[in-house]
Amino acid sequence: MLKRSLMAGAAVLAMTVSAQAADKTLTISVYSFSQDAFKELVYTPFEAICGCDIVVETGNSIERMAKIEANKDAPVIDMAVLSAHDALGAARKGLLQPIDTTALTNYDKLYDIAKDPLGDNMGVGYTFYATSIAYRSDKVTITSWADLLSPELAGNVALPDVTTNQGPPALYMLGKAMGDTDPSLTKPIEAVGEKVDDIVTFYVRSSQLAQLMQQEEIWAAPIGRFAWGSFRDNGLPMAWAEPVEGQTGGMNVMVMTANNGNEELALQFMDFWLSTEVQTKLAEALIDSPANSEVEVSDEIAANLTYGADTVATLDLLSPATILDMREGWLEQWNSKVVQ
Amino acid sequence: MFENRAIGVALVLPAALFAAALFFLPVGILLSEAFRTETGWSAWAYVEFFQSPRNQTVFFRTLKLAGLVALVSAVIGYAAAFAIVNLPPTSRGRMFGLVMLPLMISPVARTYAWLVILGRTGFVNQFLVNIGLTDTPFRILFTETAVFIGLLQLFLPLMIISLVSAMENMPRDAVSAARILGANWFQVFWRVILPLTREGLVIGGTLVFTGSMTAYITPAILGGSKVLMLETLLYQRVTVANDFVAASVIAMILIVMAFSANILLKRIATARKTR
Repeated sequence: MLKRSLMAGAAVLAMTVSAQAADKTLTISVYSFSQDAFKELVYTPFEAICGCDIVVETGNSIERMAKIEANKDAPVIDMAVLSAHDALGAARKGLLQPIDTTALTNYDKLYDIAKDPLGDNMGVGYTFYATSIAYRSDKVTITSWADLLSPELAGNVALPDVTTNQGPPALYMLGKAMGDTDPSLTKPIEAVGEKVDDIVTFYVRSSQLAQLMQQEEIWAAPIGRFAWGSFRDNGLPMAWAEPVEGQTGGMNVMVMTANNGNEELALQFMDFWLSTEVQTKLAEALIDSPANSEVEVSDEIAANLTYGADTVATLDLLSPATILDMREGWLEQWNSKVVQ
Repeated sequence: MFENRAIGVALVLPAALFAAALFFLPVGILLSEAFRTETGWSAWAYVEFFQSPRNQTVFFRTLKLAGLVALVSAVIGYAAAFAIVNLPPTSRGRMFGLVMLPLMISPVARTYAWLVILGRTGFVNQFLVNIGLTDTPFRILFTETAVFIGLLQLFLPLMIISLVSAMENMPRDAVSAARILGANWFQVFWRVILPLTREGLVIGGTLVFTGSMTAYITPAILGGSKVLMLETLLYQRVTVANDFVAASVIAMILIVMAFSANILLKRIATARKTR
């Protein structure tokens, strides 16, 4: 009896607490990785500051975008993080509103490439990554993106599939090495198609690639810097290429959904996430490379990240608009020239 | 069996409603997607799908690999099942357990093991190099051969189990009788064992064929995007291109192929019976 009344009391208490806290709720839509760390480093500290509840929805870009689009007349999500090109796609569909960057006290600390990657302040970059070639330094030396198709690497190289985030930027850099920077990527795709038998596989997940490198199935592959940790420590002589054409990469942005009615709280949250303190913590936990230029980390941490003004200056990124506009065409060419 | 039909209907109703609401309806909606156009209904999506040379390649590759896996597993399966039913009961149970073992291991772990075994520094290649058959390791991973090996291992147990239970129902003396009457082993198989176990072959064949056709993990890991099959293509269309029309076209093709395989195998089985 006592137990039952205690439980009932606890239930009533829990209901009142959640009713109070639910006065202010911020619903965010994020990638599903590292959520435990995000909760500890970002969400919980912010909840303490704002006295609000954060509701987190996770999933891959496509799922989350589909959900935002389905609820566009009565938005559930207040702010979301997406890849830059997916964000631009959402903006073009009218699902987003411009971000009032004057309300972001940390905005001026961002690297220039992160300030307005989509145009019209539709998104603010909060992290980016370099993409270059991870390779076996005892087998080959890589100084150019063109080395990917060299005779030394024939039968020993994997490329990202065109459908991955790494695929098009890597092809773009291959084209650049061949003297062709046309966004149609026709020339590099043709070049890959001619050498298709020399390429072990077109990978979809970097975790799968790490195993292929470990098993000595491959000696080189273009990867995102965020995956570098699982290659560097595999017990084999590994190096990160710094090709003469530069490195490429990608960026993730924060966006504000249209007409969500919760703009003030969402802006406060974005500002918190972009602050030097939070960005430093996320960098030290090796979760996201900082877009805030005031973040300082040790050399050891920096070696795992895309870090510092010098690195940022060498990044040659495909613009979100290019990716969005050309994607279907790339896939079509890829299917006829490479997969056949 | 029941005093009146109403009781029978009442008993089946919950299961039928469950299946209708949670299976047939959603599947119907999904599949109708491919026939819906802005102006009405049409089968144009199917025509368009088969016009692409890439899709044709993927379709025939899926058909070929699934057919080959079913055929080879039937050949190996008959030999294994025949050996198993002729064992003494205790070893039979043990052997049966061994056959079932692969079914109890997670398909992901099992497929990753193949990555290690079939790799250039893997067991198979080291063996081939050591016995001097080749100097340079063969490239097996990310080829149709790798997908075939993976699928065969995955589905062979289903074929063996179906054939073992079919053979257990065979009159015990049928084989000896045929031998005494002068039949050679080929005739024994063709005119005695095969006709008496055709039900098991139809079930096993359908399971292996449809299983191979619709497997995702094995072709995804061992074949990758260079050896696309219908199932991996379906996944790519949904996750990459958000193209649910092509996806439901592929789903429909897979369903039709599964039913056709079953009908065809049954036909073959009954054709032999009537002769």
